[in-house]
This record gives sequence, C-alpha cells and structure tokens, in this order.
Amino acid sequence: MSDYTAKAREIAKKLLQDGTVAMVLGWEKGDEPFVSAPAVIRDAADVDRLVVDEYCIHDLATLLPDYRDRSEKIAIFAKGCDSRGIVRLIQDRVMPRDRLYIIGINCPGMKDPNEFIRAASGLSKAKPADKAVKCLYCQYPNPVLYDEVIGEIQQPGEDKRFAEVDKIESMSADERYEFFIKEFSRCIRCYACRNACVACNCRTCIFDETKPQWVGRSTDPVNNILYQIVRSMHVAGRCVECGECERACPVGIPLMLFNRKLIKDVDKFFGPYQAGISLEDDAVPPLSRYRVDDPDEFM
Amino acid sequence: MKSFLQYLGIEPERYQLAWISGSEGQKFADIMTHVVAEVKKVGPNRKLREEHE
Repeated sequence: MSDYTAKAREIAKKLLQDGTVAMVLGWEKGDEPFVSAPAVIRDAADVDRLVVDEYCIHDLATLLPDYRDRSEKIAIFAKGCDSRGIVRLIQDRVMPRDRLYIIGINCPGMKDPNEFIRAASGLSKAKPADKAVKCLYCQYPNPVLYDEVIGEIQQPGEDKRFAEVDKIESMSADERYEFFIKEFSRCIRCYACRNACVACNCRTCIFDETKPQWVGRSTDPVNNILYQIVRSMHVAGRCVECGECERACPVGIPLMLFNRKLIKDVDKFFGPYQAGISLEDDAVPPLSRYRVDDPDEFM
Repeated sequence: MKSFLQYLGIEPERYQLAWISGSEGQKFADIMTHVVAEVKKVGPNRKLREEHE
C-alpha cells in the first residue's frame, strides 16, 4: 500500500487547490506508528498530513452526519466498507451525492490499531494479527461508489461471515441465553458502538431520550442486552457490516453476532439483500419501504 | 423479531404477531385464547427480567 499515500495527497491537493471541494476527510498519523486517526484537511498546504496505510481502519463515513447541515462540498476517502456506509447515508438523505467527492481505496484489509495498542501496553500477550477481525470475511474490499479510485482491484475474502451465527444457532435456547447474558454483563454502556456506527445517524437517538425513557440506563446484564437488541433492530437492513461497533467496544462484546444474525434474516425474508451496495431505487433497505408481499415472519 | 428473540434464547411462544381488524372480535378472542394456552405451556418467563442475577 506504499504508493497509496502519495496518490492520496496528490488528489487531495488538486481538489483543494482548484476549489472543487472545501474540505477533505482523510487520515493522519496519530501518536503511535500504528495509529492513523481521522483528519479534516481544509488547506492545500496541509495535505502532507494525509496518510493512507494499513492502519486506516476508521470508517470516515461516520463523520459525514456532522456536516449534514452545511453546504460545502466534501472529499472523502472510502474503503469498500466506508463506501457502503456512504451509499446508506445518501439513501437516508443525510448527505446529497453531489456534495461528495468520493476517493475510493481498493482495500487489501486493514490492521486493527487497538490490537497493537493492547500489545504495546504489555497488558495483553496476544500478538496483533496481520488482518483485523472485521476484515477477515470482507465481501466488498473495493468501493461500490466513487469518483476516482486508488490502488489495484482486491479479491474478496472467504465468505464465512455467518459461521459464528450458525454456531450460536446450533446451541440450545438456554445455552444461547446464558451465553449472551454473560457477554453483555461486561457492557459499560459507553455507547461507543452507537457512535462508531454509520447506520446510527438519527439526530435524536432513542437512547438519549429520558421522557419517555425507552430502555433502562443501568448497567445490568438485562438492560444492556435490551439496549443492544433495540439498536440491532434499528440498524437491521442498514448495517453495512463494517464491524466498527465490535471493534470500538472496549470490553470486547461480539456485537456482530447480533448484526450478522439480522443481516442473515433480512436476506432470508426479504432478500437477496445487502445494505449499501447500490443507489438504485429498489436498493432501499427492506425495513424502510412497504410492499404488499412483505413477509410477516420477520415481525 | 421473532427469529431474533429465538436466537437470544427466548421461547417463540412468548412472542406472537397477528393482524386483526377492529371488526374481527371472534378472531381476537380465538387468538388470545391460543396465545394464553401457548404461554401456559412454556411456563413463567425467567429471561430478560430486571431481577436477573
């Protein structure tokens, strides 16, 4: 990926200099060599801050809702998963397509900075993997929507996305319940999963409301799991499987087990359907539209 | 939702959905009787309750 950065800077510089865009959303080097943090570049003189390397795991599309009430044009770097997030935001009318200049990145899979931070801290003995968990079974490494693109076309990973879900499904009802309650007893209700989520783009979030308060806020296993049930159902059919929620979780709850189950169900009942791969009219999430032949089973 | 609750280990009998019009009194009664009978079969719910330890 060594030539990605130079190409990215060149494109960003051109766009800022000729005034095509007012700002560029990209990544810059953080405090550690294995951290590439999101960056907002407004001046062509600053483009040398930009980097595109194997640690650019953050989904930049989650920044877009912050700019929804403005009018300036934005250039944004997008890996395969990010581009699906952008498609979803355009479909949700968070951001009009013509305000975006999408610079696609054909993504060979990223490394997870969190794993490197844990290893460097000495608190974890686990060796950081060459590929982040969320990238292992990626089916869309190449952006689905872009104005220009950097890098060679990448091959999708092996499609074992639902292997873990199938494993849970093969357990007995009581085993499943005990498993999930145990996992969710660790939740500290930091809402990092929601904040990292590109599908969570509501202006007012149900979990912030107190009148009425829909879900209890105490950190007991049942309220924690109810919170995640509601969140998963809200993003059902919108989740682009970027895996950021699970990666952002500070206590390592396997949140994708919920999301992938719903992806599997939506695909089964309304499908074939994958969120955020096309801007066509019929690509609207099944739970956002009505059809006479919608099945009752999902409800 | 039903499939998802089942995935979480909740008995499917506890969550039932039916479309009943305001004029279908008999249908409402029949379905409610059916729901109660089904839930009685699986017994009191111990899952997803606040007092869970």
